Amino acid sequence: MRKDKNTAGRDKNTTINPFVRGAVTILGNEKHQSISIPLFAILLSLLAGAIVILFLGKNPIDSFISLLQGSGILPKAQYAAKKNMLTDFLSMINSLTPMIFAALAVAVALKTGLFNIGISGQMLVAGFAATVTVGYSNLPMAAALPLVLVVGIVFGGAVGALIGWLKHRFNINEVVSSIMLNYIFQYIISFFINSYYMNPVTRQSRQVSAAARLTLTDVELYGLKMDIPLGFILTIPVAFLVLFLLNKTRLGYELKIVGLNRKAAKYAGIKVGKSMVISMAISGALAGLAGVTLYLGTFASIQPRVLTSVGFDSIAVCLLGNAHPIGILFSSLLITIISKGGNYMSSMVGIPQEIAQVITGLILLFSACGAYIRYRVELAKENIGNGKLRIENNGEGGQK
Amino acid sequence: MDIIIIEGLAFALPLFIIAIGGIYSERSGITNLALEGFLGFGAFIGAAAVTAFTRGNVAGIEVQMFFVALLFSVIGGAVFAMLHALLCIPFKANQVISGVVINILAVALTAFFTSQINSVIFGKPTNKFVLGVCEKFTVPGISKIPILGAFFTDVYYYVPIIIVVALFASYVLYKSRFGLRLRACGDNPHAVDAAGVDVSKVRFIAVMISGALSGLGGICFAYSISTSFSPSIYAGYGFLAIAALIFGNWKIGPTLGACLLFGFARSAGYKLAQVLELASTFSDIIMILPYVLTLLLLMFFSSTNRPPRALGEIYDKGKR
Repeated sequence: MRKDKNTAGRDKNTTINPFVRGAVTILGNEKHQSISIPLFAILLSLLAGAIVILFLGKNPIDSFISLLQGSGILPKAQYAAKKNMLTDFLSMINSLTPMIFAALAVAVALKTGLFNIGISGQMLVAGFAATVTVGYSNLPMAAALPLVLVVGIVFGGAVGALIGWLKHRFNINEVVSSIMLNYIFQYIISFFINSYYMNPVTRQSRQVSAAARLTLTDVELYGLKMDIPLGFILTIPVAFLVLFLLNKTRLGYELKIVGLNRKAAKYAGIKVGKSMVISMAISGALAGLAGVTLYLGTFASIQPRVLTSVGFDSIAVCLLGNAHPIGILFSSLLITIISKGGNYMSSMVGIPQEIAQVITGLILLFSACGAYIRYRVELAKENIGNGKLRIENNGEGGQK
Repeated sequence: MDIIIIEGLAFALPLFIIAIGGIYSERSGITNLALEGFLGFGAFIGAAAVTAFTRGNVAGIEVQMFFVALLFSVIGGAVFAMLHALLCIPFKANQVISGVVINILAVALTAFFTSQINSVIFGKPTNKFVLGVCEKFTVPGISKIPILGAFFTDVYYYVPIIIVVALFASYVLYKSRFGLRLRACGDNPHAVDAAGVDVSKVRFIAVMISGALSGLGGICFAYSISTSFSPSIYAGYGFLAIAALIFGNWKIGPTLGACLLFGFARSAGYKLAQVLELASTFSDIIMILPYVLTLLLLMFFSSTNRPPRALGEIYDKGKR
């Protein structure tokens, strides 16, 4: 008898909104929220992107498929000679590599409560240093490649440490010093390239030697001509290394405590200044890896007076991945697929290429609302929970 | 010397008004990295309005159109800033993320709409709206005084406008009731709430003001540096403004000093390169002057720097 009453009451309750209830059951599980909410945000943004494409009078599904085709996830209808899906995919991976390192760099600093907006500058310094020292030398590949990585890590790390030290010693806000250093390095390096290393035809720095390049270009394999990004091999181990550092080591624990509450960290005897310098040095070293994989990998030269947008995009990519190293692997992949496939999409479907950028922006916009979505889900869950409680109370009251 | 002052002012004042926008937002407790996006989007709306009214041909009516552009940029910046306000205040997003995202979105949207409008309406495949250059004026008499007179020679029209707006903005921030509440929101929002003022509303308005002022600064850059609107307006001036306001310790007066320092160091650098007759490559070395100077000065003046206490924190009524 009581059972019947309850189910009847619950049915009344569900008539409020089955959509909300469905969303809450999917998104409400706290264990999976760190994955399910970003996925939900991405879904929302793809829907919004589809609406934009519809407004332009094109088919959104075709557009999204061509996006995947352009980045080598799905096969295209036809290929140029010596190209196929694999070569497209490898070319996408080639652009993905620096993005992963750069986003990891943002994450390490962020965990310590520092905002490294100078990734682009650190990348440029590392890339330039490696280009000049190793890229223009005659070293054989076996010596050159490790050296490129080491030079990148050392120079990137040094710039990062400098920013951390300025904050520790002079209380200079890291955002300001990073922006200033970005400009300073950009102009100094532009001066050196223009004066000594210029290729007058391309208006960029001279190409680095093939032996020092982290991407093997135009390798003929199985009748295909492909670019093999060697730097990518490092991304996944480095991501796990960062994860290990942050979660399993004493240093990582200290960095995170400094990020959570600087005063409490100081009270607990953690050297806050030292932690900040170390964190920025690690962040800079990762940015250095991003720099060498970009300037001596994806490209083989440096364009003077231009800071790469990778450094700024990586901030958003890092946050899309919840500043978690494994999340970053996936968020970098998603954003790179969209930006890489944008070219092909615009030529196939006939919509402007900028639309790919707009979709990227929308994804980031919706994922920024992740906290809000979580908050609403909690609220809805409570409402449903309260409803249940009320019904049960009523039921009991009836029996009494 | 004169040219240093003229060019320095022309660069420093738009930067200053953008930085004031940043101060409004940050003093209310909302971190604002989105200035770059605000100034670009505001300038885009202004330029698009000019293009719409003149059908792409501004020749002859540049002056009237300049004021139209100014008005629409302010509105455009304020409306676009609502996005940042929405994300940060009711949607409780991380304010740093929101700022970065809005910059990316602004670049994407303005590039997309500029080329779309140009190709669909005018059939031209460009990503530019041509605006023409802002008119200048010289005050007769005063401009003859040595050195000081340079401040009154060849002044861009926007310079006095910005000065008036800046004076009004600092009056509102420091002397009005709204300004007091705004500053209190940045330091102790709970006290503001206890006094019966809606913290969210004050912050929302502050962010919109921030957008409006950035839009004004953005269109001035578009008129003075590039004489057109194109994605090249995203040259980092918004970040420079953030640097200036942090340098100025979140206060309007010192921030003006920081902006003038940038402006004059920049124009002095250009002049120096000209005087020394250096090869064009050396101008890059001189261009670092303002930034190195800033870093050095920061080493001496940063120790007392203190951001607003509640900056970047999401306001939660229940938290104590």
